Amino acid sequence: MEAIIEPFRHAHASGDGYAVSALLSPIPPPYDPGRLYAFYRASNEQRIDPELRYALKYSKGSRIPPDESGAWADMFVLYWRAVGEILKVEEGSNQGRLGDRQWVAVYDTWKALTDSIQRYVSNGTLPFWAVVCMYHAASNLRKFAIKADEQLANTKGSVTFNSGFQDDVVDSLAKTEKLEEAARLFNRMFALCLGDRNPDLRESRKWGTYYMANLQFKTYFKLKTINLCKNVVRSIEAQPDLPPLTLFPKAHQATYKYYTGILAFLQENYTMAETLLTEAWRICNIKAAKNQELILTYLIPCRLVAKHEVPNQQLLARFPGLQERFGPLVACIKQGNLAGFDSALTAGEEEFVKRRIYLTLERGRDIALRNLLRRVFLAGGYEELKEGQTEADMVRKSRISLAEFGAALRMGVGGGSGQNLEDDEVECMIANMIYKASHSPTLAALMRCYHLQP
Amino acid sequence: MPAQQPPVSFCLSHGLAAHPVHGLPQQAAAPPVTKPKKAAWPPAVREYVQRAFEPQNAIEGVTPADMEAKLKQTIQYFAELNYLDQLDWPSYPLPQKLVQDERDAAAAAAVAAPNGYGYAHAMHAAHAMSSVGSANYPSSSFSSSQPSKKRKSADMEAFNADDGNAPPWRKANHSDAHTSTKQEKRHKKNESAGGNSKFYQADLEKRKQRFQTATSATQSTPPWSDSESSMPTGPVVGTNMALEKSYFRLTAPPKPETVRPQHVLEKTLDLLKKKWREESNYNYICNQFKSLRQDLTVQHIKNAFTVSVYEIHARIALEKGDLGEYNQCQTQLRALYAQKLGGHPGEFTAYRILYFVYTCNKTDMNDLLAELTPADKARPEVKHALDVRSALALGNYHRFFRLYLTAPHMGGYLMDMFIKRERLHALANISKAYISVTLRFLTDELGFDSDGECLEFLAACGAQDFIEEKATEKGKQVRVNLRGTAAASVFEGLRAAAFKTVDIKGQI
Repeated sequence: MEAIIEPFRHAHASGDGYAVSALLSPIPPPYDPGRLYAFYRASNEQRIDPELRYALKYSKGSRIPPDESGAWADMFVLYWRAVGEILKVEEGSNQGRLGDRQWVAVYDTWKALTDSIQRYVSNGTLPFWAVVCMYHAASNLRKFAIKADEQLANTKGSVTFNSGFQDDVVDSLAKTEKLEEAARLFNRMFALCLGDRNPDLRESRKWGTYYMANLQFKTYFKLKTINLCKNVVRSIEAQPDLPPLTLFPKAHQATYKYYTGILAFLQENYTMAETLLTEAWRICNIKAAKNQELILTYLIPCRLVAKHEVPNQQLLARFPGLQERFGPLVACIKQGNLAGFDSALTAGEEEFVKRRIYLTLERGRDIALRNLLRRVFLAGGYEELKEGQTEADMVRKSRISLAEFGAALRMGVGGGSGQNLEDDEVECMIANMIYKASHSPTLAALMRCYHLQP
Repeated sequence: MPAQQPPVSFCLSHGLAAHPVHGLPQQAAAPPVTKPKKAAWPPAVREYVQRAFEPQNAIEGVTPADMEAKLKQTIQYFAELNYLDQLDWPSYPLPQKLVQDERDAAAAAAVAAPNGYGYAHAMHAAHAMSSVGSANYPSSSFSSSQPSKKRKSADMEAFNADDGNAPPWRKANHSDAHTSTKQEKRHKKNESAGGNSKFYQADLEKRKQRFQTATSATQSTPPWSDSESSMPTGPVVGTNMALEKSYFRLTAPPKPETVRPQHVLEKTLDLLKKKWREESNYNYICNQFKSLRQDLTVQHIKNAFTVSVYEIHARIALEKGDLGEYNQCQTQLRALYAQKLGGHPGEFTAYRILYFVYTCNKTDMNDLLAELTPADKARPEVKHALDVRSALALGNYHRFFRLYLTAPHMGGYLMDMFIKRERLHALANISKAYISVTLRFLTDELGFDSDGECLEFLAACGAQDFIEEKATEKGKQVRVNLRGTAAASVFEGLRAAAFKTVDIKGQI
């Protein structure tokens, strides 16, 4: 028991939220892998409560005020119970016979802990730095909820019967009951952080706002209720006395920018998405390769559509995952290889759809088409020299015949089998490019003096 | 309907409500000692109350309001017996546990009752009660428990999921019944007792206000309203033989004599199909279909017939462009297909894709694409819809209008919803790229049936000034002159207006 109480007293005395939250972690620290087990074995259901209460409240070493120590004792008791369930799951999965509802039990006990932390933080029993414990507990709760939902989905059917007065047969398709429940708790925590009225900013719980917001984003993305994210953004923007984002920890900033960037991306606001994602990229820890990769996963399609830019080889080479994902597409765009582009898009479709970038990447085909047109233009050669003109006066042919471009398209599309391409469709593509040229200066330069004449 | 015994559930829940004191020795009750008037609650009672409010003791499905009502009831009961000091509070079950036990007992009784008939009886009672006066239902709690199907947000679903075993309407009434009568009694008692524990009283009042927005008009609650809580939610077995029935939104459990059983409903469907072919009165048909769907729901009929009812209603709604109703059917169909009950999942997946094309809903479209299996994509309807999507995404209007003309099933009706928008888009395109085009070219390219229709469309866009007739060697030729920026700006403006976000009620 002392093994956990002693470091707790120490951490508490120095007001180190991170150290305290490490003690309330469901994962034992690397230097002491047996900590959870030892802690759980040190007591039993009957003794744990009085023991902890005594250790925190009445023993001589304790200098914590009575209210607060009671709260900590409650939390450690709940933590002890949760640890019990976690160890059971560990044991069960090691022996290959995991019970039907074991993750659910972990979730339930961990939720009890998270609930109580939230309550004690909310009623001011705990010092301000306890928000760190709160959000670490919440973050773990999310993981357990996902596990519990997976387990529930495996054990029971997915569609429930409508039992109320509804007119229709099926009630809902909820397969994520626990995570939804957790999401509601996160929302309360978020409101608690955001709405803190402590005038002393050093002791404000407002500093947890962006962490909780990020956790909510993560949860909503998982739940596929992305539109709920907008509420979070809106309430942050409506809070006038929130300190500027730049004063928050870098990690919070980067994640927040990343998610708001994706939100803008999904609303096809590529300019804003690009700004936000670029900032996230700038703030992101240089060692966090996985996070950088995630940011680039959205930033690359974003730039592709907004600025017609493709990433260079050095950048892709740094991230093997991105190279695999975008490498073939980028190569095909550069070559103007439509067939290759189509097949690369189809090959990666599952992954792209999962990341929600498929529909954006699809628009990259325009750029491939433009490059193809450019190749046709270059292949068209020069105007014949007139009398008195020298090599230096050579000018490129300013017109491309539809037939030439059509031939190029037919070669490209479907690996040469695009013979069934109608002339009208070729015209349509050209018309499209002309239309887009009026919006994009790069294309305009290419498409100048290009008019169709049916 | 044959005569049968009153349902067991009534007696049982009554018994529980009247005697909330399990394991209390009878002879110990009501000692004749008069209590000191100013006495505060004994510490044991306070501890009990405190324990009851501790979140770790909360039981899922029992709301704080229910728990408090029970708590008050319990304490009051013992206070009246002057038994507060003697009772072994630490071992006495917590109020939430009592509530749960009561519910379990009620549920068990409901299962024991013959299926359908028991429910029918309970419904009579409920109906009788509601006829006593709507005052029994504080409007706020009632309406909140009646989520509108049309705009069912995620919150709403969460709210439903939260309740678990108890349907919201049951619970709302249940707690109201308790709090109101008990609150009244409390008032009386406090007056007679010289207003002891004013502090506690004030607290209770505050809580009451928090949990119960409508406090007035609860005076007339009949004493047997507790039986509400025992009402089972099992399926009704209908006895109505009429083929037609107009739709009425349920505000109370349905009566079996108003509900039609499946064999009648099947005839109804045939009749409706016939009427639709002959009369095409959409308002009537929609109304009839809604009542048909309602009857299926209350009887928990979920089979191939259900699927066909929803499919037919969805198709009719599509034909009439009633997207709200179509959406409701579509949502239900999605869930029904997940149960593999037959029907035409391919056709309706295709409609969903086209629908998202219409609403420009990129997020949902992405989710849908993620759900599609290779087998789905191979179906001709789905493939067509996916081609439509990709043609539009790539701006290939030529291919899009070809696909429009070859849309399978009712796809054409859905595409009609956005065909005008896409024509404008294509026109904006063409007006930039061409100097002048023949009318025939536009008719072909934009998928019009005839030159006249095309001309009409152009006139409706205000483009009649650009149309000119020329006599060529082959005869008269109508051309649309697109030189200059005038035509382009007209079409561009219309295009931008048409692409503003689409908002339809009842979106999936």
